[in-house]
This record gives sequence, C-alpha cells and structure tokens, in this order.
Amino acid sequence: MAGSNIMCQIIYHPDYKKYDLGPSHPFNPVRAEIVLDFLNRTGCLKEPLKPEPVSALELTVVHDESYIHIVETVSCGENLQNAEDYGLGNLDNPIVKGMADGARLQIGGTVLGARLLIENKFNKVLQLGGGFHHAHRNFAAGFCIYNDLALAIKEMIKKGWHIAYLDLDVHHGDGVQEIFYSDENVMTISIHESGEYLFPGTGWLHELGNSMGRSLKLNVPLEPFTEGGSYLEIIDGIVEPALKWFKPDALIVQAGADAHFSDPLADLMLTTQDFEKAYRRVIELVDQYCNGKVLFTLGGGYSITATPRIWIILYLILFGLKIPDKLPEDWRIYWQEKIKKELPEFLHDSVPSFKPIPRKIEIEKHNRELIQRLMDAVALYWI
Amino acid sequence: MIIKEIMKTDLTSISPETKLSDAYSIMHKKNIRHLPILEKNKLIGIVTDRDLRLSTSRLAKHPFEPEEAVKKIMSHPVQTTHPSDPIESAAQLMRELRIGCLPVIEENQIVGMVTITDMLDALLLLTGVHRPSGRLDVRLSNRSGELARLTSLLAELKVNIHSILTYPEKDKTIRLVLRIGTIEMRVIAEAICNAGFEVIWPVQISCVK
Repeated sequence: MAGSNIMCQIIYHPDYKKYDLGPSHPFNPVRAEIVLDFLNRTGCLKEPLKPEPVSALELTVVHDESYIHIVETVSCGENLQNAEDYGLGNLDNPIVKGMADGARLQIGGTVLGARLLIENKFNKVLQLGGGFHHAHRNFAAGFCIYNDLALAIKEMIKKGWHIAYLDLDVHHGDGVQEIFYSDENVMTISIHESGEYLFPGTGWLHELGNSMGRSLKLNVPLEPFTEGGSYLEIIDGIVEPALKWFKPDALIVQAGADAHFSDPLADLMLTTQDFEKAYRRVIELVDQYCNGKVLFTLGGGYSITATPRIWIILYLILFGLKIPDKLPEDWRIYWQEKIKKELPEFLHDSVPSFKPIPRKIEIEKHNRELIQRLMDAVALYWI
Repeated sequence: MIIKEIMKTDLTSISPETKLSDAYSIMHKKNIRHLPILEKNKLIGIVTDRDLRLSTSRLAKHPFEPEEAVKKIMSHPVQTTHPSDPIESAAQLMRELRIGCLPVIEENQIVGMVTITDMLDALLLLTGVHRPSGRLDVRLSNRSGELARLTSLLAELKVNIHSILTYPEKDKTIRLVLRIGTIEMRVIAEAICNAGFEVIWPVQISCVK
C-alpha cells in the first residue's frame, strides 16, 4: 500500500530531534517519532526523503545577519550578554547547545518540500517537522528561532510563483505575516484564538497588509472555546473565497494541532473528527484553486496524546489511505511506556469529547460576524 | 507619560489677519483640523475646521465671507497645556471642555500641539502589543506589596513583562492585565495561582487553591 500515490511525498530526518529545547519543554520532537512509528507498524509509511540543512548564509533571505550570528554563537555554547534582546534565553526559547543545527536541518526539510513542488516532482508533500511561524526577522519567539515557512515561501516566489499560506496553528502566524506584510506575491491566512486571550497577542481583523500586500493578509481571531462546526464555517466563509480569488500556484499549510480541545496551551475545542474534516476540505480547495499543489508542515500541538493522532490522520488523508478505527496495541504499549501517559484505544476522539460549552451559540454568532466583517473589509480590493 | 513625549512640534500657524479662505486651504493641504493664531510670536487664538465651516455656512444667519479675517471667528483666550504636564490631565481638560486640541506653551511661547489623535496614539502605545506576548489577567487585593510579590514571582520564572495595565474594580479590588513574553501561559498562571493570586485569565487552570 505504501507509495501507492506517487504524487505524494513525506520529508523527515532522524536528526530533527536535535531541535530539542529540553525534557520539560512542550515543543517535543517525540511527536513526529510517534507518528512515524505508527505509519511504519501499519505498513502505511512511504520512505521519507531526508533533507540537507540550510546554511546560515541561506537564512539571510529571511533573517538579519546580526541575528543569525547571535543564534549560531549561543548555539555553539558561547555566552552572549545581549542574547536576551533577540528573544533568546528565556522560558520559551531557552539556549540549548546545537539547537541552531537542529533548526537549520528542519528548515532544510521545509525548503526541500518547496523545491519538490517547484520541480513538479510531487504535488502533495508533508514535512514532518518545521512550522516555526513565530520566528521573526531579527528575534526568536514562541519556541521558534528560524522561520522555515518564510524561507520556503521565498524559494517559491523566486520562481515567480504566487503563494498562499494557511496557518491552522491555534496561535497567530505573526512571523510569517510580518515578513511578507507588503508582499504582493504572498497571501497569508491565519485562523487562531484571539490575541486578546492568547499568545502572541496579534492577528486582528484589521491587519490586512501594507502597500502592494494590502488585502492579502487575512486574520481570523476566534473566540476562546470555539468548536469544530464554527471552525469549518471559517474555512468555507473565508479560506475558500480567498483562495478562489487569489488563485495561488501552491499552498503552504502550517498544520499545528494545538486547536485540539485537550491542548494545554490554548482554548479552542476541535476534535480529531473536526481536524479530519478541516484537512479534507483544505485538500479539496488545493485541488480546486491551488493548482493541486500543497506543502504541509507541522507546528504547535502540545497534547502529547492527541497531537500524533491528528498528524497520523493528516498523513492518511494526504496519501489517500483508509483511516482505521483502532490504534495498534503494540504501538500503544510501546509509546505509553515511553511518554508515561495513557494513549486512547481509538484513533479518533471518543464522542462526546467534552461537556457542552455554555456560550456555544454566542461564540458561533461572534465568529460568523468575523467572516462578514473580514469579507466587507477586503471587498474593495478583491475585484 | 508627559505631553512632551506625544506632542507634535512641526507647527503650522496663521496670523489674525489671515483670510478665512486661506486658513481653509492650509487645513486642507496639510490635512489638519486646528490652526493656532500668532501675533508677534504670541498665541492669541485658535481656529478649527468646524469654526470655519459653521461661520461660513450658507445655513448661518449671517455667514462670513471668505475674504474676512480669521480674528473675527477665532476662539480666545486659548486653553493650553505645558510640555511637562501628564497626558491624563490634558485628556481630562479636553474632555471637560469638549475640545479636540491643546496648544503646548512653555515660557509664553508655543512649542507644540496635542490633539485627540495624539491621545489615541498614546493609548495604543500603552495598551498595544509590541512584542509577541500572552495575556495574564489577575485580581489583586488593594494593599501594598501585592504587585511586587507578583512581579518577583514572574522574574523567578524567567518571563519578561512587556506591559502592565491596572484599573480599579467596584469591590475595591484591582484588576491587573499583564502582557508577558511567553506562549506557555498556563504554566505561569498555575504558579501564580499557587502563590495565592486570583487568576482571571487564562481560565480553568488547575492549581492548589
């Protein structure tokens, strides 16, 4: 069964785990390993392509040289007084020896994904790493030091392509948006929990882009406790018309899984069933409006028992494989032991997954108004 | 924050003899709504776009003509502020008198202007998000040392505070909204809750209460 769909490819390197910010840090490289091991045991895994790391020089397309120098220096174990000015050495972005190498390898994976699409080798690519959307031009934030997504987008617009970027992570994709805020070749769409309540505090409706990039940067700041039904309405009400109008040459999706109800860092209420519907819908839109080309990366997702299941579902959908009900027993036993947490018996969440949300109707109404307000705001430009 | 930090110093002024039509075209060209009127370098009046429009309107009983001097319609004496005044006192004055602008006077000379727009910019600067950060909303009892206890706890946890806003609540407690530089807000909120603070946001954190 593996490799039955020759237009799909997966990218991974065992050394991705060198981007490890410490045992208690939520950005845990074991998440991708759990996914791979599932696919391997069930015979679904296509042999991943192994990327090369990008060089520090290649990063200058996106990051300031002075910032790259700081990151590379502290990553070698040298102490720098001013590292904190660049967002390094705090709770979110601790300084860990070798982190720059691990990051550059994962950046290489996302860039490889972009090249596979450009060279027409594959149409649908899943990079089992990357998604560092909070990395800014000259500072680190929110677990991210280098911005793989921005580098991959640069790689593609260099070829004259128009790129749409869809950020499904529960946090606003601020780094990517900032880097392309005035760029007419790049549309960014971020669906996230409102900055009023969640990191990084930006991603408001009125952030529409500057100069030639105006109306190409879209933000949907959802209410806390938004559920799947309302989330899917956003995809239909905003993502579809946006892609239909912009008609990009390819779509890049940051598939953070932290909008799941069990995520410890955020407050949206999606179930694995909702993620399945969202992924299927996005792939439909890719085939309809994005030339059939899509690159998925990972991202946030800090519930160690839910995140791997969500990304397994993403892989199976992308490769056109059947989604099984039950999780393999040997896989469960092996990983329960490793992560010291109980894994559920089934791939999908049990239903109902949580107690009814008291403000549900109000939340849905609020989110629908977001669709209307955003569409009104861009109507003047989208002609 | 004081007036000096937010005032505009790039001034456009007119004389009392300036024609209404000229005052109008200066406002139009510079995209401004207020013009201070100077005589021998002293501020003697002020005119707004509204003054011009109302005084020359065909709907007025005795409309002024475009050629008439601005001194006939200017407001005077002028309400002013000082560069070292706190912005909140200027805001209060503007609110009380229902005016949109205050010339800034130092040693009898006009040195700047503040408008409602500058006040909004100041508000955005005070409440805005300038670095990626998460929101922590805490209720404090109104006694000394509480804020110090909270901030030293944050320092111990190695998180940087980007902004602090406080406002009084009805029941004599103080609401404190902090923007702090972390994506892992729950961990921080739990530690704060465990230290005996009442956390309003994020909700549903599990701490020993």
